[in-house]
Amino acid sequence: MNKSELIKTLSEENNIAIEEATMMVNVFVDSMKDALAEGNRVEIRGFGSFKMKEYEGYTGRNPKTGEVVTVHPKHLPFFRAGKELKEFLNS
Amino acid sequence: MEGKTLTKADIVDSIYEKTDRNRAEVKNLVESLLDIMKSAIKKDHALLISGFGKLEAYDKKARKGRNPQTDETITLPPRKVVVFRLSRKFRAELNG
Repeated sequence: MNKSELIKTLSEENNIAIEEATMMVNVFVDSMKDALAEGNRVEIRGFGSFKMKEYEGYTGRNPKTGEVVTVHPKHLPFFRAGKELKEFLNS
Repeated sequence: MEGKTLTKADIVDSIYEKTDRNRAEVKNLVESLLDIMKSAIKKDHALLISGFGKLEAYDKKARKGRNPQTDETITLPPRKVVVFRLSRKFRAELNG
């Protein structure tokens, strides 16, 4: 499922206008993005949590060409599924 | 930057400010959204949110484990796990 299908399903299942469903999904996603961009955690009970992880830079090698490349330090969000989601997927 | 956590209640508040609905209605709609997301991950094995990332379910095979307290060998059943794959766009925004 992609974002537009998610919006459509939300609209149909709850009998709300597509514009309102669009706004809801956008606010939901943008809130999470903004929080993570600021280095904050996101915790959605029953669904899961996101937190930023710091990765140090290192000198790597392109395995195809043997060329030495510098991998810069980066921070990336890491997701952990919540208990309810895990149980739901495995039921 | 330290210690702040965005919760479901914060998201409900942000949506509430943009509608004429009461908080309880907004909360129910957010729960409905989460249920749809969960079902999509279960049914399609993937939920793609452009500009954010992809939540992907994949199967882990059964494996032998051990109870560290009793040293007993146990077989851990096969299960589904979820991973988040960051979209290129969001990755660039975070590390730009």
